[in-house]
Amino acid sequence: MATMLGQSDPANSPLGLMLLDEITPVVMVLRTPLVEEACLKNGLNLVELLTPFSTFNNIDVPVRTASDQPYRLQKFKLRLFYASDIRQPNLEVAKEQLKEVITHAGEKDFSDLCSDPPQIEDVLSTPESEILPSWFQFVNKELVRSPSFSDHEAFDHPVACLLVVSTKDEQPLNRFVDLFNTNQLPFLLNDGVMDPKILKHYLLVHDNQDGSSEKAENFLTEMRSTFGSNDCRLLCINSSQDGLVEHEVNPWAPYKTDASLSQPLGCFLNIDDFNEIKDLMQDFSSKRIIPHMEQKIRVLNQQVSVTRKGFRNQIKNLWWRKGKEDTPDASNSPMYTFSSIESQIRVLGDYAFMLRDYELALSNYRLLSTDYKLDKAWKRYAGVQEMMGLTYFLLDQSRKEAEYCMENAFNTYLKIGSSGQQNATRCGLWWVEMLKTRDQYKEAASVYFRISGEEPLHSAVMLEQASYCYLFSKPPMLHKYGFHLVLSGDHYKKCDQIKHAIRTYRRALSVYKGTMWSYIKDHVHFHIGKWYAFLGMFDVAVPHMLEVLTCGHQSKTTQDLFLREFLQIVQASVRESLWQSLEEDMIPSLPTIRTNWLESLPKNISKKHKQSNICVTGEAIKVDVEFKNPLQITISISSVSLICELSASSEEIDCDANSSTSELQNDEESGKLTISREQTSNSSFTLSKADFSLGGGERIMVQLTVTPRIEGILKVVGVRWNLSDSVVGFHNFESNLVKKKIAKGRRKAKHSPSDNLKFLVIKSLPKLEGSIHHLAEKVYAGDLRRLVLELRNQSEFPVKNMKMKVSSPRFLNVGSWEILNTEFPACLEKKTDPEQRVQANHNKESHTVFLFPEDTLIQGGTPFLWPLWLRAAVPGNIPLYITIYYEMGDISNIMRYRTLRMYHNLEVLPSLDLSFQISPCPSRLKEFLVRMDAVNKTSSEIFQIHQLSSVGCQWKISLLQPVETMLPSELMPGQALSCFFKLENVRKLTTPEDKVSLLAPREGSDVKLGSEASNEILFDICSSPLADFHICERMHQEGSHQEHPNSVDFILISQPSNDSINTGLPNPPPHLFSHHVCHCRIESTSPIWWLMEGPRTIHHNFSASFCEVKLKMTLYNSSDLSASIFIHTLDSIPSTSQLSEVMAGSPGNQVGWYDTSLLNDIKVTSDVLGMKVGKPPSLDSVSQFIWSGSSSTKVEVEPMSTAVVPLQICVFSPGTYDLSNYALHWNLLSSKDKGSHGKCPGSPYYLTVLQSA
Amino acid sequence: MIVCVAVVGHQNNPLYIQSFTEADDALKLHHIVHCSLDVVDERVNNPKKSGPTLNETFLGLLYPTENYKVYGYLTNTKVKFILVTTDLDVRDADVRNFFRRFHSAYVDAVSNPFHVPGKKITSRTFAERVSTIVKSFGLSSAG
Repeated sequence: MATMLGQSDPANSPLGLMLLDEITPVVMVLRTPLVEEACLKNGLNLVELLTPFSTFNNIDVPVRTASDQPYRLQKFKLRLFYASDIRQPNLEVAKEQLKEVITHAGEKDFSDLCSDPPQIEDVLSTPESEILPSWFQFVNKELVRSPSFSDHEAFDHPVACLLVVSTKDEQPLNRFVDLFNTNQLPFLLNDGVMDPKILKHYLLVHDNQDGSSEKAENFLTEMRSTFGSNDCRLLCINSSQDGLVEHEVNPWAPYKTDASLSQPLGCFLNIDDFNEIKDLMQDFSSKRIIPHMEQKIRVLNQQVSVTRKGFRNQIKNLWWRKGKEDTPDASNSPMYTFSSIESQIRVLGDYAFMLRDYELALSNYRLLSTDYKLDKAWKRYAGVQEMMGLTYFLLDQSRKEAEYCMENAFNTYLKIGSSGQQNATRCGLWWVEMLKTRDQYKEAASVYFRISGEEPLHSAVMLEQASYCYLFSKPPMLHKYGFHLVLSGDHYKKCDQIKHAIRTYRRALSVYKGTMWSYIKDHVHFHIGKWYAFLGMFDVAVPHMLEVLTCGHQSKTTQDLFLREFLQIVQASVRESLWQSLEEDMIPSLPTIRTNWLESLPKNISKKHKQSNICVTGEAIKVDVEFKNPLQITISISSVSLICELSASSEEIDCDANSSTSELQNDEESGKLTISREQTSNSSFTLSKADFSLGGGERIMVQLTVTPRIEGILKVVGVRWNLSDSVVGFHNFESNLVKKKIAKGRRKAKHSPSDNLKFLVIKSLPKLEGSIHHLAEKVYAGDLRRLVLELRNQSEFPVKNMKMKVSSPRFLNVGSWEILNTEFPACLEKKTDPEQRVQANHNKESHTVFLFPEDTLIQGGTPFLWPLWLRAAVPGNIPLYITIYYEMGDISNIMRYRTLRMYHNLEVLPSLDLSFQISPCPSRLKEFLVRMDAVNKTSSEIFQIHQLSSVGCQWKISLLQPVETMLPSELMPGQALSCFFKLENVRKLTTPEDKVSLLAPREGSDVKLGSEASNEILFDICSSPLADFHICERMHQEGSHQEHPNSVDFILISQPSNDSINTGLPNPPPHLFSHHVCHCRIESTSPIWWLMEGPRTIHHNFSASFCEVKLKMTLYNSSDLSASIFIHTLDSIPSTSQLSEVMAGSPGNQVGWYDTSLLNDIKVTSDVLGMKVGKPPSLDSVSQFIWSGSSSTKVEVEPMSTAVVPLQICVFSPGTYDLSNYALHWNLLSSKDKGSHGKCPGSPYYLTVLQSA
Repeated sequence: MIVCVAVVGHQNNPLYIQSFTEADDALKLHHIVHCSLDVVDERVNNPKKSGPTLNETFLGLLYPTENYKVYGYLTNTKVKFILVTTDLDVRDADVRNFFRRFHSAYVDAVSNPFHVPGKKITSRTFAERVSTIVKSFGLSSAG
């Protein structure tokens, strides 16, 4: 019968297996300290050592209970407990443990949360085991165990007692007697709840490392004679001397999960020990415990039959109980001692249940149930009903009965109030399993729903389990699945399990995705986004917030809220990612920190604290508290400050929770205590105070600070205030209930996570404070100035290994140390001695980290100065981010490094608008004309142009005219300026290595433009910082066109005029303006430059003969490739339109734009020009001159070299001729590819031939 | 008092949902209506429990929550009507009557040539009619 049932379905169901685990005989273990010591050599205590051997899958013991029919028991388990553990578990401790488990599970499950939520179809097709988080099982088990060792049920009452004494103990026999000292026995035995005459088993433990077991044998014989031979045993352990035994399948491993394995479990136990322990437990179970239970069942059954069975007894019982009706409900008083018949029936039933004689158990439970009901002993009644339900289930008889019993038990437990809550939970969880076994998922879900009590964490877990039941029910009830997930998420949020909350909401999302239920969808997305943002995961938060932005269906306030939250998250996301990218290279990666921490961590910091926030002695913690005034009148609130607790050492943590609550209660009762506490607290931390008044319905965010003074644990408990200077009010952040206090201000702690407000205060650490001198809010573009970064460290501990990174090297550059002592701008001036030059750091790339010199130590408040260069490159609002990484000089600290983040917003105003135009000079080979246009865009600033420099060794810039004639001394606001310079190409054939270094201005040529002061020295553009900034400028201005060999970079340096009315600053520090214009290209694209040379004016007597003019064309190949050039002369006159175009091309409306080459060369040009313009050229079809000599010439020109080609024309009549009717075809001969080629039309060359007299 | 009425399309998409409370509990009511769809499905799939005849449109009390009672009604075109009320003592006849009138209002609304089937009902006339029906709910029994 029962054996058969053991293999049948219900026993193998999850509930059946659970019951096999939970409802089994308990053995109470009593041992001496020496026994424990011997066991601990293996990393296990005695109970842990024995536990793996007290579960039997095939014990195969014949059992005969009340009936005469024996059956065999296969599966069996003993639960071993120390006597001290046999008591009701501490609820608070259990709750804390559960919370820790759940929090831990949250961290673990959270890793995969960044992916998209799965489609609901996928969820439905995945198997149950994959969806259900594995920690549910653990949590449920803990919940089931929490009400154990209650007096109202007997299966937790020890069946036997195992007394263990070591051979090392003095007088082992006496120790055995002492061990069973009634004073230290669990209350169950002392209070008369159970029979103190318990089965005792005496075990003598011998540690083989302490010598041979001969003495032990002697003791054993002695024991046997005293306590009876069957009840005594000797166990020899630790037979392995070296402690190197490796167990292939370590039986202890599954039982000891918190693996702080300093040594392998059971390392001193060799195979003999192993077998001995196994035999011990096997014999103990099969020869002692089971027969004892059988015996007891038979005895009790006999007794019950005599007193309770039979019609006469029933009548008597009924009548007797009727008489007791008036006695008050006495479930708490020890009304039923072990000798009462009710207790005996219960023991009989439970023993029968544990030996799996369910029929017998059921009949007794039934009998008992009516008794308890009549007695109104509700807890006991519920307990019996619960067992009846389980028995019905295991018998697989009446499903309805089973369910009815469970429901009855559940309701009864709930009815008796808080004391039955744990039991109700256990009963509910069993009931749920029962329903799940029968595929009644929907009903199971509703039971889960009913289990969820008032405690948010508990109900969150239950609601989540309920939701999965809806998912698994056939057909799946997806709507309810989603709804319960959302409910569960809300509860998780309430108890600050944000990661769990996100998890559940995300699962719910797969239900609502793609539906039209926008209100619900918005709610879910919005909260997920908000929570992600709370965790600092802004990048994940943003997509969720994007989902809620189209919320036309929502109310105005909601829309406002959504948008505001969205913007906040986006901003935070951007800012944080910027800082992170800056610090990326500097901060050591996370795992390395961890290991370092572990190495250097002092032992006293427990695991728990590692998770908590860390703050530093002497550094303020800022807490933002939002106050809301629900009234319509203005309330004045003063002396708002935080309530904090600082326990000096970390050991006090355990009692911390209790003490804080008790203190708070005191606080509530009398305001006096507040004062005293404040006085005491003054020594350990300081608080800031705030005063404000709240208008009707107003919300105010107040920042309050607390600065701890000593090391320890700091807890921000609440906030206190004075209402209208007369009434003291306070609010405790951790309580979930909003207490209605005298003060009307209803407060809301924005995030009240208890852990968030708990800080581990560590000893004072160096902290850098940084400031930048001379940094203005507003500068003009091009402003170049020296800033000084000042770093201070107030503590006496030094910091070292500093690194710095700047977000925009185009604007901010790190200077070198020497600059600090020199004068600005003199330090930028060109030194006569080239050795002294501060070389620009050519190797520096734009985004590298600046390392301070290694010997830099900052401590003790002495300022550390370092120069920085600022150049306002472009107009606009420029955020400057500077982050400085530094390490603590003292290695033993928890924090190894910190970073200092500095942020400055710079407003850059437009100043000079500069443009350059370069055109080839018609009369000189390798010379160019540079036209510079500058406009002063400022409203008040006056610029004194100081110098113009061309960058690179291949160019040389020079003046065309004396400065005075060309330039005004100052550029007034709004004034425009154009002027011309000569640019010479002095390039030589370069080797590739030189080319690389071209990027930086190693050489340059300068033109001094400063008007009056001729003694002023030029600034050196080849040294830092101008060169560094120039590199950045070049990179930024690169744009689309590639590096062209014939491009020039110009730097215009100007100074602010002394008498300029400065807008922003009263007394600005000295500064310069440097404007960089890069990649200016010569207008012609041809790499071939040529120049026609020859006489300009010729006197010839045409009556004698026609005139032959010899000309010379100089060709220059500016490219790096050799070129083949083909000069093609045309005999047709260039069309007039072309000519006039040339004329029109010179913008006559601008002063100073004239053909200087002509002017320089011949004095009469103006006349000629005037004549030419006034008289249109003749449109004769015959050209008035012809090219003589070869009509086409081909020459090869080597790179960077010139070639001269002779040309000749014949002129037949006097006049002025334009010799531009030729074309140059050039072809670059590249070795690799085809090379480029092109055609250039001739440039104008005017020749005047006059009739000589 | 009726706190919420809803029309849900045959693909469980909300067509019309209107709450009649002062408080800002739209989200809660949406959840309740959304949840009750499971029960509607259940009733439809297990017609034994749903009533005497197969063609019965009135689904009866879907489920009682803590503070509300939810009633359902299923038209021949598989459009569901949901009624959420705070009255604890409601007569079935009243609810049936309500749903009948609500149904006819719905039919008139979707008969509008400008109504797109399957889209939300935006007709103002419908909304007015519904609020009249809601206001008159229970009055007949009282009077």
